[in-house]
Amino acid sequence: VTRLRVKPGESILETSKRTNSRQLPEEQPLLQAVLVADSFNRRFFPITKDQPRALLPLANVSMIDYTLEFLTSTGVQETFVFCCWMASKIKEHLRKSKWCRPTSPNVVHVITSDLYRSLGDVLRDVDAKALVRSDFLLVYGDVVSNIDISQALQEHKQRRNMDKNVSVMTMIFKESPPGHKTRCEDDDIIIAMDGKSKRILHYQRAQALKRLHFPMNIFHSGSDEFEIRFDLLDCHISICSPQVAELFTDNFDYQTKNDFVRGLLVNEEILGNQIHMHVTKDGYGARVSNLLMYDTVSSDTIRRWVYPITPEANFADQEGQSCTHSRHNVYRETGVSLGHGSQMEENVLIGRNTMIGANCTISNTVIGANCVIGDNVTLDRAYIWNRVHIADDVKVKQSVICDNVEVKHGVVLNEQCVLAYNVVVGPDITLPEGTVLSMHHPDEEDDEDDDEFLSDDNDVGYRKDKTKQKVFNPAEVGSEGKGYRWKTSSLEDTEEDELAECIWGLVLNADPESDSESEVSEGSHDLGSHPASPELDDVKVFQNEVHGTLQRGLDENISCDNLVLEINSLKYAYNISLKEVMQILIRVVLEFPFHQQGAQISTAQYSSHLLPLLKKWAPVFKNYVKRPQDQLDCLASMEEVFLERETHWAALVKVLMSMYQLEILEEEGIMHWFNQGSTTDKSQQLRRNQGLLKFIQWLQEAEESSEGDE
Amino acid sequence: MPGADKETDLSERIESFLSELKRCGSGAGSLRGSAETARETTALLRRITAQARWGNAGDLMEIIRKEGRRMTAAQPSETTVGNMVRRVLKIIREEYARSRGSTEEADQQESLHKLLTSGGSSEDNFRQHFAHLKANVIEAINELLTELEGTTDNISMQALEHIHSNEVIMTIGRSRTVEAFLKDAARKRKFHVMVAECAPFCQGHEMATSLSKEDIETTVIPDAAIFAVMSRVNKVIIGTQTVLANGGLRAVNGTHTLALAAKHHSTPLIVCAPMFKLSPQVSDTPVQSHLHDLVKLTSILSKVNAHGPVFDYVPPELITLFISNIGGNAPSYIYRLMSELYHPEDHEL
Repeated sequence: VTRLRVKPGESILETSKRTNSRQLPEEQPLLQAVLVADSFNRRFFPITKDQPRALLPLANVSMIDYTLEFLTSTGVQETFVFCCWMASKIKEHLRKSKWCRPTSPNVVHVITSDLYRSLGDVLRDVDAKALVRSDFLLVYGDVVSNIDISQALQEHKQRRNMDKNVSVMTMIFKESPPGHKTRCEDDDIIIAMDGKSKRILHYQRAQALKRLHFPMNIFHSGSDEFEIRFDLLDCHISICSPQVAELFTDNFDYQTKNDFVRGLLVNEEILGNQIHMHVTKDGYGARVSNLLMYDTVSSDTIRRWVYPITPEANFADQEGQSCTHSRHNVYRETGVSLGHGSQMEENVLIGRNTMIGANCTISNTVIGANCVIGDNVTLDRAYIWNRVHIADDVKVKQSVICDNVEVKHGVVLNEQCVLAYNVVVGPDITLPEGTVLSMHHPDEEDDEDDDEFLSDDNDVGYRKDKTKQKVFNPAEVGSEGKGYRWKTSSLEDTEEDELAECIWGLVLNADPESDSESEVSEGSHDLGSHPASPELDDVKVFQNEVHGTLQRGLDENISCDNLVLEINSLKYAYNISLKEVMQILIRVVLEFPFHQQGAQISTAQYSSHLLPLLKKWAPVFKNYVKRPQDQLDCLASMEEVFLERETHWAALVKVLMSMYQLEILEEEGIMHWFNQGSTTDKSQQLRRNQGLLKFIQWLQEAEESSEGDE
Repeated sequence: MPGADKETDLSERIESFLSELKRCGSGAGSLRGSAETARETTALLRRITAQARWGNAGDLMEIIRKEGRRMTAAQPSETTVGNMVRRVLKIIREEYARSRGSTEEADQQESLHKLLTSGGSSEDNFRQHFAHLKANVIEAINELLTELEGTTDNISMQALEHIHSNEVIMTIGRSRTVEAFLKDAARKRKFHVMVAECAPFCQGHEMATSLSKEDIETTVIPDAAIFAVMSRVNKVIIGTQTVLANGGLRAVNGTHTLALAAKHHSTPLIVCAPMFKLSPQVSDTPVQSHLHDLVKLTSILSKVNAHGPVFDYVPPELITLFISNIGGNAPSYIYRLMSELYHPEDHEL
């Protein structure tokens, strides 16, 4: 019996027959996970045209299996796999895998829909279907990790117990200093955190930023331990409470996790939600977000950094996948034959029934199943998938060769070449660095853009027919070659250029999203367009707005209550703290006569203008100045204003006097402020002002006399 | 259907055992001694014998072999599991032979002539059905379990024969067997123990704390000081992860250094190893775990390979004596014990 509502036509839900997890006692809610088996980007194009990213083999095992293994080993008992692009293939794969066996400790449900366009859509669906009941893990289908998150989970639960519903998410980070090879350049982040509570105060992607801005309010968070870190790698694993899904529903503009995190941090004061982090020093966690990361993660897996998830562990439990591990990290599955004089130098994984010819040199390479490799072949950092034929005298350096590719005699592949499915190359051709060849014509790309790339498989078949009519260029793929080149290094068409480099994750100007980010953070005044607009500018704009409000109040004779209302709403709009509101209000009022009459007015004129205003707006002040501390703040900002205008010091006394008479300020406050040790010469000078001294004396006398009366 | 229910229950147990084995390897699960693993494996095999569907000894052996292969694949470095599977297979062979009326000894004496003529076809002989076979096999497995329960006691009982008063003993890392062995001797004799800390996991520290609680005079030394201290040592007593078929060891990293130092100073090296650690394996594959401290190194030098071996291979020449639950044996005698414990056809599961 499924307890999930399924809207007909929108999604298909699959529940394995045995749900033994239901039998657990109520107090121990089972740990659930949401696995997003779609990247919602096209980084791996054109490879992902034929196979979804989650199913691409990494060290001969599909990436989604690594993620599921990670989840299962951390004790997840129920996983919801959300697929969109080529969902049927993922479903088919999972059905055959060990995860859908009745004995699996992790019950996997597959939920598919063509309507998912982003992580946001998926989480909104999670909320709509009420899939999660308690804290859950959120991961992508291409995360490879062996991190033990039990501690993070416990911390998360503790925080939740302490403050109900305040902490909504714990993100897992791995410590890895800049330059570490698992660091993905697109994913560089800067985080400001509270050292004690591990709360994230500020989160920014640092990609290609020259300057960084931190909002001031994060330093006022009341913590004495404060860290700004650049040595963290986002493992893309997060522990979320069910509210996360709700928040995505409430804020329909959240598309990515990035949106969500930044949105929450900016609106922290309003929503009252916090995000925490957990930093792990050991353990391995990385997301295969581009081919460079694919290269890194593959080689790390073979070098056993992800232990116990190693090639010979055969954790996916597939028939015939077991392999032996020998010195220098050489792994061989069953039925591998190696020709005379061939050497497997180090970090090599060879799939079952692969035949390798004589005198080959193979290092740092993964070869899939049923491949045939000729004589005198040199492979270095090559990732060769299944059923690939490589003829004699071929050289391959740091390249990806997909299923069923044929590389003919004498071909040389330079760094970062990609041969997508079914391509034929050669003979005797040297492919320059960064060549991407695919059976799909790049022009299809544009057609597809129109009818949205998330189409189903029929379309792909149809397009294949169409491409056959186009001619292969022998200069690109060799005289017997088949395939289209996706990029030439010096090309005017910048879009393609970006695309191809994107696949290796080198470019930074690729996605428009990050562009806008860097612009804004570089101090543009395009306010409000982005949630992360710098705080300082907000203050300025707020000041202008307050000034405008007061001006209007004066012109249209608006009542003080309404003015307070307007200022309060401005406060929320610009996210200004109460203290700042008061400071700004004082400043605006004190500078009001200058704005009206020009900056050159005399002190007498100034005070004659100001005093009626003070009287008029006294209720406004009273609304904000309530506690003794408020009075001090108020006086401090008055002092600040007057310090800037030395010529008008005489007016200060009058202002103080009238504020005292209007009962905005009390004598204790003024005395306290006056006796406060002043820091600068100038403010000491201000205090020695003749008029002020008299006023203070008068105050003291008044106090004494009032005491005497009593 | 109670039958089907029984079977799913069984397979569920097998799965949970497998996943636990896997987690043990990662260090995330509960850290267990190999004695416990051996007991659990045997108990699981008894359950399989009792609950699985089989008509004759051949079927049963096939089932056990199949599950045994999966169990050993789950945690290749833990040889105990495979050893227990072999022991159970041997039990089935013996019980079958007894039921048939012939003696297992007849099979044991394999001459070269017999080997050539019989070939590998002895499997066919296991097709006969015996009603009481199941009960007999379970009975024999129970005996094996009782034997396993007593191993540590049996080994530590021999302690007084080997440890004399005022001796200086060296050991490395933490072995439960050695711990029990030393503590047993400490009841009657006074002696001094040097514990090599066994970096980077430093199990030696735990060992030293545990020993000093029993009022044994204990000193922790860094691994680098092993050679320097060796001249003062009377005996080296170590545990091991596996005893290999040639009499060599696969033991915790650093043991090879210790054994070489002992050889140089002609200090006797005694290995405390229960019989269930005896494995028909000969080859040693380096088993690597992750070494966290080296992570930063690779970040700078991407061409550098960092290896973090967990086990050392110690060749048999360096070992003086094995103390097992059935007594002391020289390394050269291991092959004989091997043929007594396992059937030659079961060496490869």
